[in-house]
Amino acid sequence: MNQNLHQAGVKLLNALSRHSDLIMQVYLSGQLDESRYSSKVIENLTQMGVLWRPEENVPLRLKSAVRTLLEGSLQDERNRQLDANIGAALDSLKTVAQHYKEALHFNRFAESQAYLSDLTEHVYALAEALANAVRVLFGRINNEFGYVSSVDAKIRENELAQKQVSELLNQIELFRFDELSELAGSNRELRQLLVVTLQQSFSRVTQELSVVQARLLALLGRFREFKGRTRLLKGFLLHMEQQPDFAPTDYTKLSQVPVMFNQAAALINAAAVDVNNVEHESELQQLVSSIRVIKRQNRHVDKPAVNIPVESQSHVELDDTQLRSAVEDYFCEVIDTGQRITALEYHQRHALEFDAEVWLYQVIGGYQGLTEEEQAYFAIEASGEPHPVYTGNYLIHDVELGLR
Amino acid sequence: MITEQGRVLEKLLSGQFICQISDEDAWRYIKNKANVDKLEPHLNLLNRTLCSSAEGEVFFAAYKTLGDAERKELAQQFQDTAANLMPLVEWLLLVQQANGADVPVSIGTALRLNELQSAIEDTPAFAEQLEKISRYRMFGSTSVSLDGQLKQVFKRLTDLGYLLKPNPDKQIFIATGKIEHLYEVLKFIDETESLSLTEQAESAVQQGRLI
Repeated sequence: MNQNLHQAGVKLLNALSRHSDLIMQVYLSGQLDESRYSSKVIENLTQMGVLWRPEENVPLRLKSAVRTLLEGSLQDERNRQLDANIGAALDSLKTVAQHYKEALHFNRFAESQAYLSDLTEHVYALAEALANAVRVLFGRINNEFGYVSSVDAKIRENELAQKQVSELLNQIELFRFDELSELAGSNRELRQLLVVTLQQSFSRVTQELSVVQARLLALLGRFREFKGRTRLLKGFLLHMEQQPDFAPTDYTKLSQVPVMFNQAAALINAAAVDVNNVEHESELQQLVSSIRVIKRQNRHVDKPAVNIPVESQSHVELDDTQLRSAVEDYFCEVIDTGQRITALEYHQRHALEFDAEVWLYQVIGGYQGLTEEEQAYFAIEASGEPHPVYTGNYLIHDVELGLR
Repeated sequence: MITEQGRVLEKLLSGQFICQISDEDAWRYIKNKANVDKLEPHLNLLNRTLCSSAEGEVFFAAYKTLGDAERKELAQQFQDTAANLMPLVEWLLLVQQANGADVPVSIGTALRLNELQSAIEDTPAFAEQLEKISRYRMFGSTSVSLDGQLKQVFKRLTDLGYLLKPNPDKQIFIATGKIEHLYEVLKFIDETESLSLTEQAESAVQQGRLI
């Protein structure tokens, strides 16, 4: 018997793998395109219970067991159905557990082992079903019901999911751990299965479901907001169509201007360049070098010929010999006396008639006009102060000249 | 180097909206109450105060006290806002319909110009709508080609701060918090003028269903 079951199972799985193309086509499109495959294959699969025909004259479909297998393994988000029949599963668990205990009681060990493995299977199946249900819900939340396009449909999907969550929670309430532990009694295997495994799965699922519920509510809020916004926009458009001359009253005239209309004007403009800042020198240079020279070539315009009067220009002559000789005298006096005399003192003493500033310039210029060798004889020192406002400038009040 | 405080202050004083999209660092900085207390005296000195809109999504500088000059400035702004409402609403609806996702544009929505363009090109009604929108004074397009109109509209919206173009080489735009501000303004007008816009839209939809 067991050997037969094994062979039949292997045969079925082989058939599935041999006709995987066909099965996937049916899975994806929902129904079988019978013209593409040989009738023998189809007949074979129908007999194995992979395909079935719900009604006469309706294309063949995939059996739901195969579909569920595929959905579960492929984590297909189209899977909307949740198996929430925990009550029935619990009842069958209890029944099998009682069989097991009875078999143990009468020392039918072989039988009891079969019951125990059956029970293990049931418990794990239940735990897996619960975890699967939560995973399916999360999958749908995570892509925000991306498989439907309109917001209305998303809201409906969300409501469905919420219903499923509350249904699941109601079902989970059917877990009575006191009853289960009483049933398990002092049997170690039973305790492990009925109390420990189920309790772990129970606590994990309840925890995750509460997260799911919160996420669903938040999503629903967002969808509603989307919808509200769309309505707001459409309503505004409609309103403007009906009353094209509508203009909102000027809220800025109110004594209390609403916050959203109170927006201060821009205040800051771009800062100006500081050419004296040494730190900026390289950046500024780069900027300058990147300035493009725009040469506008003046278009040559033919002008009518004009007579150009040619006269001799009056000469302008600059006579600075007096000033220069006065500076030379000043230098000579310094050499003669060997004392330090400031330029302005000399200016006053000799009652020179040049402007004091011009005189100072000429003295400095005269000094710098000497050859280096001659400059070495003199010591020149400017007395003055830095400019009070513009840094980097030095105001010279007087110049003192002496011999080195 | 300028401190984060200085940077945020400069942004506020130059009349910009700060949201998570346009400048996440600044937005996070302002979200901290202690930092706001540091900013506020500087703003107050210039008769400004920090304001937020759309449930803390956007921040901007508002006047602290309103004199005649400030009121004049605000009145001018309001004129612009009111004049821009219609083009913006039409544009928002056009994008929402052409996107095919039925989701309104909101902060963080990414808009791919190419996808939008092909959707509009494929549907003559959208193309007409775009032409109408681009002729508004706010966008001021004189282009006859759909491509030019769309680019002009997006360029203007980027200039006005409603959209952000994170990568200058790619035609992908992201909606900023100013869009949220726009919804706030619409909601406010709806409530203050008791237009019941939502109900109008609802009843129009139902009438459409009856027909």
